[in-house]
Amino acid sequence: MFYYMKLAWRNIFRNKRRTFIAGTAIGIGLAALIFTDALFVGMKENMIDSVTSSFLGEAQIHRENYRQTQEVEKTIQKPSEVISSLKDNEQVQHFAPRAISYAMITSPANVHSLIVYGIDPDREKSVSEIDENMAEGNYLQKETERGILIGKELAELLEVTVGDRLVVTVSQAQTGQLSQEMLRVSGIFHTYIKEMDKGMAFMKITRLQDMLGLPGGIHEVTVQFTNSDYALQKETSFTQHFSRFGNEAANWPQLMPQMIFVFQMTNFSLSIVAVIIFGVVIFGIINTLFMSLYERMFEFAVLRAVGTRPSGIRKLIIMEAGSLAVVSIIIGIILGFVLTFIMTQTGIDYRGLDFAGATMTQMLYPVMEIRQFIVHPILVFLFTILVSVYPALTAGKMKVADALRRSL
Amino acid sequence: MAKNTEDIIVSKDIVKNYKEDSVVVHAVRGVDFTIHSSDFAAIVGPSGSGKTTLLNCISGLDTPTSGKVWLKGNLISEMSGKQLSDLRRDNIGFIFQAYNLIPVLTVEENIEYIMLLQGVDKKERHRRVLQILEEIGLKGFEDRFPPQLSGGQQQRVAIARAMVSQPALILADEPTANLDSKTGSGLLDMMRELNEQEGMSFLFSTHDQLVMDKAKRLIVLKDGQIEKDEIKG
Repeated sequence: MFYYMKLAWRNIFRNKRRTFIAGTAIGIGLAALIFTDALFVGMKENMIDSVTSSFLGEAQIHRENYRQTQEVEKTIQKPSEVISSLKDNEQVQHFAPRAISYAMITSPANVHSLIVYGIDPDREKSVSEIDENMAEGNYLQKETERGILIGKELAELLEVTVGDRLVVTVSQAQTGQLSQEMLRVSGIFHTYIKEMDKGMAFMKITRLQDMLGLPGGIHEVTVQFTNSDYALQKETSFTQHFSRFGNEAANWPQLMPQMIFVFQMTNFSLSIVAVIIFGVVIFGIINTLFMSLYERMFEFAVLRAVGTRPSGIRKLIIMEAGSLAVVSIIIGIILGFVLTFIMTQTGIDYRGLDFAGATMTQMLYPVMEIRQFIVHPILVFLFTILVSVYPALTAGKMKVADALRRSL
Repeated sequence: MAKNTEDIIVSKDIVKNYKEDSVVVHAVRGVDFTIHSSDFAAIVGPSGSGKTTLLNCISGLDTPTSGKVWLKGNLISEMSGKQLSDLRRDNIGFIFQAYNLIPVLTVEENIEYIMLLQGVDKKERHRRVLQILEEIGLKGFEDRFPPQLSGGQQQRVAIARAMVSQPALILADEPTANLDSKTGSGLLDMMRELNEQEGMSFLFSTHDQLVMDKAKRLIVLKDGQIEKDEIKG
């Protein structure tokens, strides 16, 4: 076996240029696979981060069926017990209560329907990025009771700027009567998320509760965990604990199931890329092995003549393919590392790109993982061995006398 | 049907036809002959007379269209590819006109290859390689690669490889074709010496006068048939 390995290793370097070209072609394929994987991991992390950090949070608590109906009367049951429990929960790092209502917003120039969120400015800072996305003016301050934050697109639509006044109209929870407040634009945010920039406004939670006639009423509590991976589990002690009193708690994959579908699609896309790349690898290897095989037909015939069994010839061809795979993998790992490393430093600007309900809010950086440099090379190696079976069988079946005659 | 094992090759009515561009070529037409131990014989004849085809048929490299061949008493048409490989490995040494060495293996690795297939241990292989290299006058060349040797030296290594496992028969297809007459004559003398001292049988396929002169037995082939089979005096 060792003899065949030595022979195979030396054989692939008989035509260095051909080995280098084939190895580089396969290596580029492997590098592309490593890079694509790293890009998809980065994209996935970016999307999760975009979804969970910007506004959604890693988990939310609502009254049962609130998410389906969005009825303003459906506030969280026993809110003070829920809040107190959240404060004591070890998994919870930050949380923020919200009151939510459909509303009409009016400026002297225009009118627009939207969702208005009543927030606790200090707590909200720790679960969302509205404060970090202020394009003009200031985030809500404690003392600005009548302040409102609106998005950039909405400001343009309403033709208002910081300091201008707007009228917000909501329907009261119990009576259904209209309730209006005149608020002053404290700040204008720009999140790159169209739904937020055009369709959301933020005001103090107490003010909105008053307008809705729901003193102390909370529609939503958004939560960030101490460990982000915790939210990826389907059933957690958190969801179990807070799904009581007629409330329901859900982690972000349940809140945005389409994201899970996107990730499955991403994995599928990676498989497609892998299939294409492996297709290139197949032709590269088969071509190289057959060229090498036909070039050395006489030599193989001599080996057979002197007593090498057909299985010996097959082993030799497979080991040559394995040797070629080793060379290709070394090239591929180096190329893949360099390419991915450069991109992890420079990043790719996909900000503002909306995909399956998630909008990229940050630069996209590929994420290198040890797995990419182990799994993909092993796959390339195994695949190369698999592909080499065909030329190996062909070589094993050769008619010695014909090969000797043709070669001479 | 078993045959006398002192008869290394027994061929009975061998016929070999093959197609070339849809034309059937009758390369060998009913050949009977026997190669005995210690023979130093040559199959001679002009190009296209069927020498190489006959050699291939009797060594199991090719399958006759009809007829039977026994190699050391074994009917080769009844053997599997694997059994034939093993039979050739243990009983026949091959020498081809194009030197046929593996260029990426050193002289020592080329010579020891068959012993390796036979499972001879490393120490013994090395001892026998050094011994045979001394016999063929290439002592000190064991670490060289074939492209670093002259044509004559390469053919000596090919002879060494064929002999080293001490087969019953060495088949040599035009062994002097690519050599000058002096080198060719030297190699033939060496082979004849081995035949006389070690009792190794040699069967050449040639149209080289030099080989014919050195051979003890001439089997003359014409149009795929034996025209004459004579032992020289």
